Amino acid sequence: MSNGKQLRKLFGAQMKMMFREKQVWFWSLFFPIILMVLFMVIFGGGGSGGEFKASIAVVKSNANATSDMLENQLRQVTVFEWKSEQPVDKEKADTWIKDEDVDAVIILPASEDIKLLELVVNKENEQSTTTQAIRGILDQFVQQTNYAVAGVEPTFKVEMQSVSNGSEDLSYVDFLLTGMIALSVAQGGLFGMVDMVEMRRKGLLKRLKMTPVKMGLFGIGGMMVRFVLGVIQIVFLTVIGVFGFGANLHLDVSTLVVAFFIGTLAFNALGYLFSSFSKSIEAYMGMANIASFLMMFLSGIFFPTEGFPDWLQPVSHVLPLTYFVNGMRDGMVYGSGIATGEFWEGIAILGAWGIVAFGIGLLIYRKGKAEVR
Amino acid sequence: MSILEVKGLRKSFGTVKAVEEISFSVEAGEVFTIIGPNGAGKTTTLEMIEGLQTPDSGTVTIDGLTWAKNSDQIKYRIGVQPQSSAMFELLTVEENLDLFASFYPRSKQASEVLEMINLTNHRGKRVKSLSGGQRQRLAIGLAMISDPQIIFLDEPTTGLDPQARRNIWDIVLKLKELGKTTILTTHYMEEAEKLSDRVCIVDQGRIVSLDTPAALIDRLTKEREVRLHFQDGENAAIDTEEVAKEMSTVVRTAREGQALKLWSIQPEETLYGVFGFTKERGYRVEQVSIREMSLEDVFIAFTGKEWRD
Repeated sequence: MSNGKQLRKLFGAQMKMMFREKQVWFWSLFFPIILMVLFMVIFGGGGSGGEFKASIAVVKSNANATSDMLENQLRQVTVFEWKSEQPVDKEKADTWIKDEDVDAVIILPASEDIKLLELVVNKENEQSTTTQAIRGILDQFVQQTNYAVAGVEPTFKVEMQSVSNGSEDLSYVDFLLTGMIALSVAQGGLFGMVDMVEMRRKGLLKRLKMTPVKMGLFGIGGMMVRFVLGVIQIVFLTVIGVFGFGANLHLDVSTLVVAFFIGTLAFNALGYLFSSFSKSIEAYMGMANIASFLMMFLSGIFFPTEGFPDWLQPVSHVLPLTYFVNGMRDGMVYGSGIATGEFWEGIAILGAWGIVAFGIGLLIYRKGKAEVR
Repeated sequence: MSILEVKGLRKSFGTVKAVEEISFSVEAGEVFTIIGPNGAGKTTTLEMIEGLQTPDSGTVTIDGLTWAKNSDQIKYRIGVQPQSSAMFELLTVEENLDLFASFYPRSKQASEVLEMINLTNHRGKRVKSLSGGQRQRLAIGLAMISDPQIIFLDEPTTGLDPQARRNIWDIVLKLKELGKTTILTTHYMEEAEKLSDRVCIVDQGRIVSLDTPAALIDRLTKEREVRLHFQDGENAAIDTEEVAKEMSTVVRTAREGQALKLWSIQPEETLYGVFGFTKERGYRVEQVSIREMSLEDVFIAFTGKEWRD
């Protein structure tokens, strides 16, 4: 039988095995998806796309020209959602604040002479970002009103803009999405070689050696299956990130393909290395878990590594996941990379990890063969 | 010409000598059984023949080929069912056969093998959900998918119930009909006796004895055990024992209640005399039997060890 046909058969068989293994579905898809959704909900500002809203109540105890004017102006502030369309009395507003039904209560001046706008918040939320924001908006609002009353145009204005190297609208959601994609592809490799341990333990490797099958083709077939799984992971996570959380992508396909290809190979090589000296599944899983957890937090998957203490920085500059996630971000959100030296430097380090891990793994397997009972 | 020639095999693991000196040859079409206690060197010997272990010294020649020079050619000619019966658990019976078939330049149709191992009705079942007997049959099926000349079956019936064991025997007999050579190892004497053309008893890394089952039993001893059970009380047995002790063909006797055991070098002669006496006295004999010597007796005689199951 020709190599091509044998490879097709081996690929087909390993595809079937992967899709029939429920564990693969859980760890490769559901787990990263759940993790990503949790992180995005907690740190990504929910599904509203980051737009700020605050619910308020307005108290107007005594209608007068000033309070009418301020009320009308307040209605123009779109980020305020009025709990009740009309102003309410003080008692009602107090109850709402205590029950946290509203974020804040604004008390309009009771007479034309009083030039004071009162802001009431729940004591528990005094330091919350929402309170700070409402305070800021009100300050701005009062200032604008003052200018309007005085009839002057403000001379200076501040306009804030966050800048990243690439797309202007890089948000935490984009950062996290690409991090999760890199993490799940890497974990696919780190955990995926558990089959090898199982095959050796059950004697399947030995059984295959009694046939003329080319083990190299078996390995290539297995890698092709990993690439398919990696593509499925990228597609699923991207779809959820983009449509569920409004992530913005700037794809650079050639950068993405290079990073994905080298990264998948490197992390599978690491898995292969773990499998070469693990006598049991438990030993292998322990090893893969340690590696995965260390890298997850030290490689800038969830948070940028720039925030790490100085002594920790060199560690993240050694780990392969750092370079993999950077490469994937180059290809997915920065929309650049393939032309820069920095990108290729990262790919080279990633590749070196892969080659060294595979080489050591192969040596251990070769040596182990001689010691088989 | 012999299809398998094994000469002067030796293998040590550290200080442990697993195989000290094993030589035999197997003719095409034979069922050749290797028996021996655990640690006798059976598995090591098989693995050296199958190319999984390199002997410290000695040669293995399969169909005129050697592992060092023609490993792929040998792999096309042999089929192995290892003790662990490892296969792809998540694939179905038929997918396993198909996949293994793709490893060889020439192979049988999966359907043909399914028929032979009687798994046609379970072809779509995943290996995971097969019973022990079905698994074992599939393992044998995988060994014969390439239509090999020699098939190695390493303890194919260990741990199976009697019916499942019989199914495996049927397969071995079918293989023999097809003119295949089978190298078998087993724990069951009955199996070796029933299936083999020749039996090789291995102990402590050496061949203790090698011959046809019948010849081995013959060579062991001429004594046969004759059992009689009397209907009319203990006295009949006591009287008959007295008479039997006087006979020249009887070596020794033993009695337990109405049951009498005689060890005779000529059972027919002995029984003739015994029945003459009982007829004269009018003693009624309920049961008579001559126990067959089994390979188990041979094994114990040659190795001095109890047979363990």
